[in-house]
Amino acid sequence: MNSRVRAVGAGVALLFVALFAQLNYLQVFHAQALDHNPLNTRYVVEEFEQPRGAIISADGATLAQSVPSKDQYKYQRVYPLGALFGQVTGYFSFTYGTDGLEDEYNSLLTKSSTPLQVPTDLSQLKQFFTTQPADDDLHITMLASLQRLAATQLAGRPGAVVALQPKTGAVLAMYSNPSYDPNALASHDQAKVEAAWQQLQKAPGQPLVAAAYRQRFFPGSTFKIVTAAAVLDHRPRLATKYFPYSSGFTLPGTAGQVLHNFAGEACGGEMLQLFTVSCDTGFAQLGLGVGAANLANEALHFGWDQTPPLDLPGVAQSYFPPAASFRYDQAALAKSAIGQESVQATPLTMALDAAAIADGGVIMAPHLMASVTSSQGQVVARYRPKVWLRATTPATAAQMTKLMLSVVDSPDGTGVAARIPGIQVAGKTGTAQTGGPDIETWFVAFAPVPDPQIAVAVLVEDQPPANQYQGGTIAAPIAKAVIEQYLLGRASTGAAHRS
Amino acid sequence: MNAGTVLEAQRQRLSGPQYRHPPRRRSELGMIVLVLVLTGGLYALSSLGRAGSLPANIGPFLGLVFALMLVAHLSLRWLAPQADPVLLPMAALLNGTGYVFIARLDHAQASAQATWTLIGVLAFVATLAVFRHANYLERYRYTVALAGIALLVMPLAPHIGEDINGARLWARLGPVSFQPGEFAKIALAIFFASVLAERADLLATGTRRVGRWLVLEPRYLAPLIVAWGLSLLVLLAENDLGSSFLFFALFVGLLWVATGRWAYLGLGAGLFAAGAVFALDVVHHAQTRVQAWLDPWPHFATTGYQIIEGLFALAGGGMWGLGPGQGNPQVIPEASTDFIFATIGEELGLVGATALLIAYLVIVGSGLRAAVRSHRSFSKLLATGLSLLMGVQVFVVVGGITRLIPLTGITLPFVSYGGSSLVSNYILLAILARISDDNAQELELAATAGTEAGPPQPAATGVVRTWAT
Repeated sequence: MNSRVRAVGAGVALLFVALFAQLNYLQVFHAQALDHNPLNTRYVVEEFEQPRGAIISADGATLAQSVPSKDQYKYQRVYPLGALFGQVTGYFSFTYGTDGLEDEYNSLLTKSSTPLQVPTDLSQLKQFFTTQPADDDLHITMLASLQRLAATQLAGRPGAVVALQPKTGAVLAMYSNPSYDPNALASHDQAKVEAAWQQLQKAPGQPLVAAAYRQRFFPGSTFKIVTAAAVLDHRPRLATKYFPYSSGFTLPGTAGQVLHNFAGEACGGEMLQLFTVSCDTGFAQLGLGVGAANLANEALHFGWDQTPPLDLPGVAQSYFPPAASFRYDQAALAKSAIGQESVQATPLTMALDAAAIADGGVIMAPHLMASVTSSQGQVVARYRPKVWLRATTPATAAQMTKLMLSVVDSPDGTGVAARIPGIQVAGKTGTAQTGGPDIETWFVAFAPVPDPQIAVAVLVEDQPPANQYQGGTIAAPIAKAVIEQYLLGRASTGAAHRS
Repeated sequence: MNAGTVLEAQRQRLSGPQYRHPPRRRSELGMIVLVLVLTGGLYALSSLGRAGSLPANIGPFLGLVFALMLVAHLSLRWLAPQADPVLLPMAALLNGTGYVFIARLDHAQASAQATWTLIGVLAFVATLAVFRHANYLERYRYTVALAGIALLVMPLAPHIGEDINGARLWARLGPVSFQPGEFAKIALAIFFASVLAERADLLATGTRRVGRWLVLEPRYLAPLIVAWGLSLLVLLAENDLGSSFLFFALFVGLLWVATGRWAYLGLGAGLFAAGAVFALDVVHHAQTRVQAWLDPWPHFATTGYQIIEGLFALAGGGMWGLGPGQGNPQVIPEASTDFIFATIGEELGLVGATALLIAYLVIVGSGLRAAVRSHRSFSKLLATGLSLLMGVQVFVVVGGITRLIPLTGITLPFVSYGGSSLVSNYILLAILARISDDNAQELELAATAGTEAGPPQPAATGVVRTWAT
């Protein structure tokens, strides 16, 4: 009988081994999948029971913070500046998760770096056994004042303003219209949150898809910065080649299709002159001369077809077609060289390209995070600037700076509206046809030469296609105002919206 | 000479004032102190983790636990000095851990559980005091069987029975509500063991000739079949599938251990399969349970909710757990009773959950060791049956929570909230302690009194080894 009693023991042991194996499967091997199961709300609930760290702008404005709440959760996330920073902070929503900085720095905002104290009485023992409430604050590089100016300057028109520090990649302002108020999505009232979400989904201009870094637009003539840099890098002799004045250029490989300049003007000359007046016919020929491979390669170096390493989720890539696509379509190459056809850019990429010229050909990784501080004000982590790309050589950057200065300084330049007394501004205008009835106007700039502190890209969408609505008249004054405020610390006197 | 009388005389001599307590009790006391440290630490951590302060009653808590365990320990010194020393500390560990988690989940239940622990320890002492030898249990087998069946039927009786959560498991006598099934399982184990001990040989070989075959005399098996069939019928009427399975495992397991006939295992498996098919067809309760086991995900909002939340809790715990008091057990229904293991897995992790399983294995192993060392068929079968009950019950509960087998609502011994479970398991523990004590006493007698009161079976010589404590 004893052998059978032992067999019973072995049987029970076997059952327990099965339990142990299943526990291993559930608690270790399959645990992550279960944790991330959409039905699993325990961590969401837990997150709502805890405060999150605050998000603070470089000029000290609180952009997001947790305040005690008296409803079903202990804390309510509030965004004091609402829609002004909505597309940057993102939201922290029970139903729709997180976006923006709330998403990117979620782990940091739910952390505490306050060192544990040596306990002096029993009640202080608790710090060793409980999760410390999150009290680390995220400081970002953006200036609330500059952001507010950008919003005021856009004056409700759809568009975007992106301003960067060329030497560090620090984002100073990044605003686009339409924006949204994250407070509506962070509410604890489910019905309200769902209604707000539905409304945002249907809203024109896709407020949840920030125009500044998640949407692409035709760059128009601002792309000539890349074309000109390609000429200087790959076919420098073309830069001094003289192109006769003309108002139209017959595209190669087409049955006499003619490319006309803006408003049918005639233009010509060497590259400096072509760039200054933004001569489409001249730059179409430069594009053909530099070749598809060189142009596509230059675009890649300027950050096209790559995702900028900005510390936000869902950053879009700008698009330049692969060189091979132009093999049997030289007309498309000519149009791409002036930023038409299928070339598309985010305002962020355009600002980075301006920063590349400003910083001697180097594109610093764009970033929002400046530092993290603990509850006692100690800096726990600090951002260190990193190089993202080497777009071009310092020599080419110097040449390009001359071209861009000429756009603003020359009497016949397209960007004269961006002139600031006492400050040398370098810029480039853009006016792109969208295929629809309206046009998009651009201005990208940096200042002050020779020691640039700020690079700006301004986009104003959906302008009626009349002569006065060009990048130089609509977008340039906005860029001017932003540069002026940043460098001189005062609001622009020349309001942009004067049509 | 009657062996029982000799044992009694011997015991009186051994427990006299000149007798030094053997090291088994000393190591037991050491382990109890260790368990006290563990449980007290866990209680403090759990309260710190949840509320950030030490529990207000930590002093009285530790005092009470120590006092209770000391009472149990001293009663073992007095009543069963040679009992296996690991039984009580393991039960104390499980009971203490269970109390900590119940206190963390529900304050009102915690004070009730403390009262039940007190009653459980008293039942432990009483069992040891009343049954001075395991043979006493054998004498009253039909009384025990009747009591067991009466207990089983009790919840079905009008005015006494209560319906809770779709199962009719509860009986109310005056102010006290309890689950008679928890006690019935011990009664049935005693009955099965005594009948099988007597008739093992008759059941092992057929004696009646039918054609070319020798088959069993049905009348030898009749009492067993009747008791078992009645218990299953009652349990199906009460919708308690977990206990049905438990009884079935007990019955088939003991039958096989007693007779060594594989046919019983085969027959048992066949009967079980048939019973399962029948239950699936007829009992709606069983259908939903199996459905929620096979694929709980589509039924998240309804029948699958509890098991899915249990899985989420276990997964959240991971290897090391979230820490005592830091989990989210409030989302799991019945977190303090049927699903307490999920909360333990969440807060103590795989490590803590495994430690708990090992504690059960130690009790089961100790029970089976007593069975192996016993020279009496009855004690051997009883110890085997009780150990099997404990092991299978833990498997059914934990297997259900971890989705290894369909979920059935039975309690985790010593850990779950519930008085009946706690008291009955302390009685079970006392019986195992009693059997292990008997064995040691007999061995000592064999050593001191020579052949006079020696074990009846020659197998005993093979059992004389050094005692591993």
